[in-house]
Amino acid sequence: MADSKKTLAAVLFGLLVVLVVIFLVTSGRERIRKTANPAASAAASAPSDERPTKKATLFFPRDDDGLLVAEDRDIPAGASVDRDAVMVLTELIKGSSGSLVAAFPPETKVDDLFITKDGTAYVDFSSDLADKHPSGTDAETSTVFSVVNTLTFNFRSIKKVFILIDGRERETLAGHLSLERAILPNYSLNVKR
Amino acid sequence: MSSDAGSIPAASIFFVNKMRPQTLHRVAAAALAVSFAVLARAPSAGGQAKQQATIVIDPGHGGLDVGAKGKFGRLEKDITLAISFKLKALIEQNLAYRVVLTRDKDIDVSLENRAAVANNNGAALFLSIHVNGSFRKNARGSESYFLSLNATDDETRKLAYFENSSTSLQGRIAGESKDDVSMILWDMAQAAYIKQSSRLAEEIQTELNRALGIENRGIKQADFKVLRGVACPAVLVEAAFISNPQEEEKLVSEDFQSQVAQAVYNGLASFLKSGISK
Repeated sequence: MADSKKTLAAVLFGLLVVLVVIFLVTSGRERIRKTANPAASAAASAPSDERPTKKATLFFPRDDDGLLVAEDRDIPAGASVDRDAVMVLTELIKGSSGSLVAAFPPETKVDDLFITKDGTAYVDFSSDLADKHPSGTDAETSTVFSVVNTLTFNFRSIKKVFILIDGRERETLAGHLSLERAILPNYSLNVKR
Repeated sequence: MSSDAGSIPAASIFFVNKMRPQTLHRVAAAALAVSFAVLARAPSAGGQAKQQATIVIDPGHGGLDVGAKGKFGRLEKDITLAISFKLKALIEQNLAYRVVLTRDKDIDVSLENRAAVANNNGAALFLSIHVNGSFRKNARGSESYFLSLNATDDETRKLAYFENSSTSLQGRIAGESKDDVSMILWDMAQAAYIKQSSRLAEEIQTELNRALGIENRGIKQADFKVLRGVACPAVLVEAAFISNPQEEEKLVSEDFQSQVAQAVYNGLASFLKSGISK
């Protein structure tokens, strides 16, 4: 009786240790990877460029049906996850290097970004995003979910995104989708790969 | 929104212990909104001077809010109003419903007030008429949307659990002070009508596909601010893409506007035929 209780305790303890290890190993790790910049390590080939880069996956709508398609890109590594996230959004605003569509007025800037402990990224865009937005359900869907799906896909610490305009909460970008709370990613808007 | 524990109706107690105070407050607010919409409808059901049931049509945008724009300068707000007038006429000619428009001229109406027009009139159906806009050159076609509940809204999903049992909801809610009611933003009333809204969207899209020869496009869901607070089956129709020059040309033609109005009318008529509450 006592023996079986002891084994049970041992098994449970073992399980606990495994869980703790898994937790520690996986927590805080971002999907976005530091690529030991080959140019920087092989100093001979490109001595001038020593800034490390990271690989990011950007989601842009494609022209025929608006579904989001992944495009990989190297971005300069920032000092923190917040800075990396700003960099990723800046690239997203610049648009696709291929034939995909940019879902932003080109003047749009990311003014600030911070991530709370509960996994909400507050992204503050310049007023251009709303003022110069073409409006329309389809256009707003493209803008909102290229931002939300891209951020949540690249950064594990981001689970949902609260979009601010010019430092303030806003009802909608241009009359359609609600921005009044944090938005979860919607991967059904992505192309199945 | 403050999480004032004092405003929790005693009747929601059966799931009280599982929720955070703020969640509770929101559920209470939404439940109240729904129950007041039911009350607003009560007189006609009570049948003194038999009041006609109402359908509310919402011509999207208006005033300074022009909505989406076409290459040739056409504006979403003008086309939505034109289609809405045609739809209103069709309903009044053929059905025993009164029609109320959220605007009948080129003025600004807030999104919350549009929902309030539906709720204050005890509307049986709410149809928001829009014209789509896109960053994509090839975007085209008509689409019917109903509200998607953002999955972060725990309270909204719990409310959706009631699936339209607004009368039983009403029964569960104890008396509440008027002050709290005035604070209600009607923010989640639509959650209780998702099922019917989806069926209404389906009926309308079927008719749009048939009338306009669209390759069978399905219904869609999105978190529309204008639909969130509406306490009855509610659908948002995108007639076509004004951002597509060919469709912009169509959208300004009387013929096309009439076709869209007729298709939406056919869809809502067959929805009504098979019973609102199904």
